[in-house]
Amino acid sequence: MFKRLFDWLIQPLGLIAVGIAVLAVFSLAAYGINYTQQPPEQPIQFPHKTHAAFGVQCLYCHPGAAKGPSAGIPAQAKCWACHQQIAKTQTSVLLAPLKQAVESGTPIEWVPVAMVPDFVQFNHRAHVAAGQNCENCHGDMTKVTVAQNPQVFNMGWCLNCHVKSAGDDQEKLVKLSDCGTCHY
Amino acid sequence: MDIKISEVKLSEEQAGKWGLVIDQDICTGCQACVAACAMENNLSFVGEEDSGYGRSMHWIRIERFWEGEYPEVKMTPNQPMMCQQCGSAPCEPVCPVFATVHSEAEQLNLQVYNRCVGTRYCANNCPYQVRSFNWRDYERPEPLPNQLNPDVTVRRRGVMEKCTFCIQRIHQAQDQAKAEGREVVDGEFTTACAQACPASAIIFGRVDDPESLVSQLGRRSHGVKHLEELGTLPNVTYFKGG
Amino acid sequence: MSEKFSRRDFLKLAGVGAATTAVLTGCGPASRYVKREPYMQMPEYNYNGQSTYYATTCRECAAGCGLIVRTVQGRAIKTEGNVNNPLNLGKTCARGQATLHGLYNPDRVMDPLKRNSRGGESTEVMDWEAAIQVVADALKNNKPEEIAFLMGMAPDHLFDLATDFANATGINAPVRFGALGMFEARATLSKASENLFGEASLPFFDVGGAQVVFSFGANFLETWLSPVSYTRGFASLRESKTKQRGTFVQFESRMSQTGGKADEWIPLRPGSEALVALAIGRLASESRGGPMPRAFSSVDPLEAASKSGIKLETLEHLAEMFAGSNNALAIPGGAALGQSNGLAVAEAVLALNAISDNFGKPGGVYFSALAPNQAEYQGPASAKEMVELIQKMFDGKIKVLFVHGVNPLFELPTSLEFGGASKYVSQIISFATFPDETVREADYVFPDHHGLESWGYQRVTTGSAQPVLSGAQPVVSPYYNTRATADVLIAAAQLAGGIFAEALPFKDEVEFLQSKAASLMNAADGSISAADINTFMAYFQQHGGYWKLSDARGIPNAVDVLNRNFSAEEAQFEGEGEFFFVPFVSPTLAEAGANKPWLQELPDPTTTVMWNTWVEMNPETAHELGIENDDVVKIISEAGELEVPVYVYPAIRPDTIAMPFGQGHTAYGRYAEQRGVNPADLLGQHFNEAGDLAFAGMKVKIEKTGKKQPLSRLESMMGVYGIGLGEE
Repeated sequence: MFKRLFDWLIQPLGLIAVGIAVLAVFSLAAYGINYTQQPPEQPIQFPHKTHAAFGVQCLYCHPGAAKGPSAGIPAQAKCWACHQQIAKTQTSVLLAPLKQAVESGTPIEWVPVAMVPDFVQFNHRAHVAAGQNCENCHGDMTKVTVAQNPQVFNMGWCLNCHVKSAGDDQEKLVKLSDCGTCHY
Repeated sequence: MDIKISEVKLSEEQAGKWGLVIDQDICTGCQACVAACAMENNLSFVGEEDSGYGRSMHWIRIERFWEGEYPEVKMTPNQPMMCQQCGSAPCEPVCPVFATVHSEAEQLNLQVYNRCVGTRYCANNCPYQVRSFNWRDYERPEPLPNQLNPDVTVRRRGVMEKCTFCIQRIHQAQDQAKAEGREVVDGEFTTACAQACPASAIIFGRVDDPESLVSQLGRRSHGVKHLEELGTLPNVTYFKGG
Repeated sequence: MSEKFSRRDFLKLAGVGAATTAVLTGCGPASRYVKREPYMQMPEYNYNGQSTYYATTCRECAAGCGLIVRTVQGRAIKTEGNVNNPLNLGKTCARGQATLHGLYNPDRVMDPLKRNSRGGESTEVMDWEAAIQVVADALKNNKPEEIAFLMGMAPDHLFDLATDFANATGINAPVRFGALGMFEARATLSKASENLFGEASLPFFDVGGAQVVFSFGANFLETWLSPVSYTRGFASLRESKTKQRGTFVQFESRMSQTGGKADEWIPLRPGSEALVALAIGRLASESRGGPMPRAFSSVDPLEAASKSGIKLETLEHLAEMFAGSNNALAIPGGAALGQSNGLAVAEAVLALNAISDNFGKPGGVYFSALAPNQAEYQGPASAKEMVELIQKMFDGKIKVLFVHGVNPLFELPTSLEFGGASKYVSQIISFATFPDETVREADYVFPDHHGLESWGYQRVTTGSAQPVLSGAQPVVSPYYNTRATADVLIAAAQLAGGIFAEALPFKDEVEFLQSKAASLMNAADGSISAADINTFMAYFQQHGGYWKLSDARGIPNAVDVLNRNFSAEEAQFEGEGEFFFVPFVSPTLAEAGANKPWLQELPDPTTTVMWNTWVEMNPETAHELGIENDDVVKIISEAGELEVPVYVYPAIRPDTIAMPFGQGHTAYGRYAEQRGVNPADLLGQHFNEAGDLAFAGMKVKIEKTGKKQPLSRLESMMGVYGIGLGEE
């Protein structure tokens, strides 16, 4: 039976079929991997680059990053503090969800983009204090609208940087490569 | 094969970092530490049946034994038992996936949940029997999960877990001190069990700092370390009292 | 594309492929991304990812310990003791820790409910306007003397509000009751104090300052009066920089957790406590020399030895120990007072203190400091006073009963017939947070917030040298559609109008609290003071309450104690049977902990049993009866019978059996219901002279049932290899 199948496959039509099958599997995989790396759908197409271009500092909206583990998503009262003074807010279609949320008092359901698994205890403060800039991990926000992840936050990526920043300091290396520094 | 006594060496002396001192004479066995630990570290409750099978998730338990018979019966001093954070831990070398590793930075025995595949070798090899295994995904009906401590991973089925000396509090205190440009002060923070203990029978601190309270207490002559003869280099000192 | 393979099929396939890849890589958008709702307006003092801490008061028992609750983004995460509160100095007990399992309990009363028929399952959700109307109608449509409040033991702001309300309108003065107070025999303690020292106060025993402590049944390391404070005292009895290790002797028929910590545990025959105390008094006076005080002169140590089952040598040795110390302290409490002669026991044991003349001295007996806004000690109702209330209910004199903070159908022995009497009350309105037994028998439940969601204050009755008023504030916003009972009462009183509205002229609970706290604002010697009430209340909440800075414990006037006559009579035991029956409060669950899953999973300190009820039996007795561990026996008293598995307990008299109180709920949520049995079902209507229930004054029979019920224990890994869990 296998013999018959093999014979069929090596004739030209069979080879084309094999080629199509290989191509299909390959493109499915490519599509799938690409699909997983898409930034999620956000309730508002928040343009990071516009805000950054106005000179708004990252820490203005995400002040938690300098103070503790979580950078935080700003409360909509913070958005509104500026936006209520901007005429375009009243008319813009893109800004309508914000206006609607503030006026109706419903929270905006943001989808965080940069996430680590829940068995990782990440602390922004330590990284900011160590001199890391936001863009080192989150990419250049002056270039994107909706935030997207420039890299996959996997452990190898974290450790690479940890080892590099420890340099020759043995004590620092021990601390920065200790499992218990992030996993507990 | 003949083994010469001189060849049998205990593990090398290794300086611990964090340690506990437990005064059994004043421990009343009230279970406040057990409850505090459960609340701080997101421990699951397993229910009557599973706890009957010895599957309850106590990172700390209070042991009491009986001596003698009625009427000369005596309850031995309550003995809170938790991970002793051994300097040379029997659990560590048996893990096939390096989920139970020694922290060089904090000198603790770590349990890395995302590595653990649930062989339970470590629990079998622990002379103190202080590791607990997640036999199931234990249910926490809504809204109980609101209480979960965001600083501690919620464990799933098939993962081993144990006392961490509240490593999240260690990190938090270190982080705070660093932000303020100073060293962590003795007594600045403590573990959940020690903080709750109404009798202050549990004291936590740096054992490598001779000035700390645990070191001072640890030098008292009647302090013992459990199963020290196994060469585990435990970091918990007990006062038997009584 | 062939006809068989359409474009749509291709897309489907591509979708499936993508989904498969996503599943295989474990990070598809759907599985990976979550939604987050940020605050619309960040609350004051909050920061993303940072904890906020609030000071409040623990409501798990009536002690009133101060708490600091860690909250993150509006969720309560962890409770710790308030270091500043002089009562608990930063410490908590297990129940204080598990209070979060009450707050986030899956079985809370979520809305105001009307029950269609008492005891039934069917309820209707009401809105709060209708609920307040119901309360207002109840006030308006009944005579004031037909309205009664039954409240929990804690002397809190709600009790003050109800008291003021009752005083102004003529409705019945609120009755405070709790099973803890019943098992502590609080009324007996204060009555003995009145008889001996002329003042009906709650004694405070300075365990920490003593050198020798004799406790007659007082389980002060478990649930007794103020366990955190007494545990601290015990720690300094044993471990102090200024004095040598103190000795602790416990007299009781069944070794309690407290008894387990004793240096000497004396298993005396139940009922002989007064006799033994007086005999020790006599022997100690002899050993000290001088004239024999009248108090001890009539007792015969030999008789005491034979009746109590303690060897004479032991009595002599104990007496010498007591006499030999200038810092000896004797404490009466627990089951020793819950007997027909309980008052005599309390008096005799208190009299022992006169030997070392420790009244008002470190290591001695004091009167508990009264809270800052308190004029005299107000004890909770004794069981006898509850019987009076129940009788009034039977007689139809109570038409409306408001119940708050107590679960009488569970906490009162069945034989007192609260359930029967409630049928004669036309309207029962419960304000319970949890759906307990009383809620099921009530016509309405208008749920109060959980303690961690509430405003308030609570007077500290005992345990602190300084007068303390512990302050409460909400640490999280209410999770369900609940409302503060004080607010409901105030709103209903306004709606009812007339004298009711005049009695509670407040906008809300907070305004009432301010009116009560105003007198403390500039009082001398206070921990905080302020020029205006808003500042004062802010300090009050920030610090977790208000306390005086100096010691205000009273000194008992003990001039005449040794010249009095004391009764050495033994207790009378009711019922037929060969076993003394000793119910004790579960140290981990107490009266209201059964619905908190982590409290259920805490092993009992003496038996290590979790999640159930057991009966303790001496190994010798068990052997004689052919009973083994986990055998279910039937216990029969004159009041009832119940079936319970046996725990063979090495530290109990062969003629005594003991059972923990705390389980056996028929309502109260999924973790409590249908679990274990309630020993209060066995208790008959017997009281001591002070009106407390003689809960340890019964004899019971045991019958084997042939059944087995394995108990879950921590102490062995039984069950793993098939041991003890029956043959399967």
